[in-house]
Amino acid sequence: MLRRIADHLFWAARYLERAQWRARLVDVNYNLLLEVPPRAADPWQPILAITGEIETFGAHYSQADERSAVTFFALEAKNPSSIRSCLETARFNLHSLRHQIPSELWLEVNRLYLESLSWPKDALALPSVPGFFATLRERFYLIGGVIQATMARDGAYDFVEAGTMVECADNVARLLDVKYHYLLPRPEDVGGAVDVRQWMALLRSASCLETFRQIYGNAFRPARVVELLLFNSAVPRSARFCVDRLAAAIRRISSRDGESAPELSPERPVDLLAKSSAAQAMASGLHEFLLNFQRECAALATRMTAAYMTID
Amino acid sequence: MQYRQAPAIAGLPMNEMFETAGNPRPECARVASYLLTMDSRRLLELGARAHLMFQEMGVTFNHYGDAEGTERIFPFDPVPRIIPASVWEPIEAGLIQRVRALNAFLADVYGEGVIFKEGLIPREMVVGSAQFRHAAVGIRPRDDRFVSIAGIDLVRGADGRFLVLEDNLRTPSGVSYVLQNRVVMRRLFPELLRALEVRSVEQYPADLLACLKELAPNPERDPVVAILTPGPYNSAFYEHVFLSQQMGVELVEGRDLICADHKLFMKTIYGLRRVDVLYRRVDDDYLDPVVFRPDSLLGVAGLTAAIRAGNVAVANAIGTGVADDKATFAYTPAMIRFYLNEEPLLPIVETYLLRDPDQREVVLKDLDRYVIKPTGASGGYGVIIGPKASDAELAQARARIMRDPAGYIAQPVVQLSVHPTLMAEGEGAPCLAPRHVDLRPFVLMGARPRVLAGGLTRVALREGSLIVNSSQGGGSKDTWVVEEGCSVA
Repeated sequence: MLRRIADHLFWAARYLERAQWRARLVDVNYNLLLEVPPRAADPWQPILAITGEIETFGAHYSQADERSAVTFFALEAKNPSSIRSCLETARFNLHSLRHQIPSELWLEVNRLYLESLSWPKDALALPSVPGFFATLRERFYLIGGVIQATMARDGAYDFVEAGTMVECADNVARLLDVKYHYLLPRPEDVGGAVDVRQWMALLRSASCLETFRQIYGNAFRPARVVELLLFNSAVPRSARFCVDRLAAAIRRISSRDGESAPELSPERPVDLLAKSSAAQAMASGLHEFLLNFQRECAALATRMTAAYMTID
Repeated sequence: MQYRQAPAIAGLPMNEMFETAGNPRPECARVASYLLTMDSRRLLELGARAHLMFQEMGVTFNHYGDAEGTERIFPFDPVPRIIPASVWEPIEAGLIQRVRALNAFLADVYGEGVIFKEGLIPREMVVGSAQFRHAAVGIRPRDDRFVSIAGIDLVRGADGRFLVLEDNLRTPSGVSYVLQNRVVMRRLFPELLRALEVRSVEQYPADLLACLKELAPNPERDPVVAILTPGPYNSAFYEHVFLSQQMGVELVEGRDLICADHKLFMKTIYGLRRVDVLYRRVDDDYLDPVVFRPDSLLGVAGLTAAIRAGNVAVANAIGTGVADDKATFAYTPAMIRFYLNEEPLLPIVETYLLRDPDQREVVLKDLDRYVIKPTGASGGYGVIIGPKASDAELAQARARIMRDPAGYIAQPVVQLSVHPTLMAEGEGAPCLAPRHVDLRPFVLMGARPRVLAGGLTRVALREGSLIVNSSQGGGSKDTWVVEEGCSVA
């Protein structure tokens, strides 16, 4: 496989995963705000903090109200990580390697991209927001399903898997970091109705709520949420699940190289999680732990890029 | 479905489906009755479905000078163009004959130059052409196959004869539309295709791959073939993707390649991998910054030296443009006689060389009766159609010719044949109306030369327009080469 193709596959997958996370985050927060009057003045600020886009947002909008937030995350062409932009970038990456991927995959991504061209430029009519995100969620599941169902388990798949998992691990770490920060400093609310709804929203953003209930019932303690989202290797979208799969994809890629497997140490983010626990991470500072984890993931992506993807 | 056709008058273009209004030619009878009895809304629906299929398959071309929405669908007309096998087979033979002679000419131009010594073609015209490449002198491709892939544009005159309008011997495009048009037509008209025994086009990618592999300098191992594309912004990028997909070969950009030790390699995730044959869709000028434009990022430095060292073959070879120069075109019948000792099977459109004072005088006297073409350009750019040009445009063309007579040729206006085409817009119900068409068959010059059955039919969608280029408002049709017995209703 060409190094450029590997690079395109990796980034196409990252952008698709990012778009999917945006869609879930916005959808969940939107629904959360429907029923309870927002406590904070800027109820969308935490979401901007999660995505790391407070500054980008501030450059284009004066106030983080619902309308501008939904526009910014879903529709804004000037936001390189809006769902619209992510789709465009993913599609552009796939466009130049269409010969390398199943045509069904191209068709689905292209179809969604073409639809995105007819999305409104600035604001969604508010009643259509839930339907918009529900449809998007289905479409992303469809694309994910096509990847699983049609891609041969060869190098191309491994780069897609690696891109998806790097992005997912990064997103779940951000989600936890910010939500934890916003949720925790209100001891008086612990166990209260608002608090429970916030934890549920957090789990729902990672599509993990039902799994949580199956394991822990309805006792939403922070340590349990951290345990599930970071350390549980069986839950799709948990950090551990992601880095396990990432490491496996990289091992498969390098094991196909008969001559010299570059020293990538794909196990480092896995080790970080394997040698710790929710209690330990929280005791020593969850924020620091998450930052460290994100750094390890980014460093691995960089090593992988240098080994297989850069062409100059 | 209604068919709007003017009454037959002498001198009008040939109508390929109807001899006179309501009177289909025998080979078209079945298709004609099928279409005419079809509900017009139904055909419209089929046209819309085809459009959607092209869009979803991403069958697009990029339009130059169009900043926004650069990807466009090549408009598709669902009415097939019918060519009976008895008409088609002599065309095939004529095309192969033609490309054989052009290859002999190229071997001569970059070799001994016998044709110049014989005085058949002025040497200074050929060597002075913008398409002549000094870097190609002395390079001999396997079996003198300078041109492996040719797209020869044909038009059909008022008398029904096919004439050669121009040769495309550099990086001819359009074959992907032929193949995808057929995919769509199989969905739209399965029963018609089966009933008419339309000749298949599916074999093309396999034939192309075989043809490319034959060029490999070291045939003892299975040659590695790659397609070189200028990238996603190129107008024909879709086709590059399509062909690499169909042939199962890598699609590379210049930055994926590197020359070392006079060999060509591509950069893969596991290191460098040797390339034996490069099907390049990048023009000569951009192919190798060492030899051609030094600022080019689209090619790979050292490629020409690797070719000369016999370590890699490129198709088409460097410098083939000198044979599809529009001035050279006038000499192609003479080439066929000279190199093959045969009479040309396909006539060419009469061509006046404006570098010649006598021919120039004839043309300038009645400039408004000719089509004026710049010799070096392609894609319909810079073409002036005398009868449709304003006085100012004609005066401008005249001035340009006087300034650089060798830069232009003139051809009489050919009344391109017309074919019924679905017209959905404008006033009234949708109907079929005659529109001008041309034909670009594709020739593969492998050990056994082959011609793709039919080729790309381009149709000028605007009423009366003769310009069929995709860049200028043309569309396409599927071309059906049909066995005779099957086509009669």
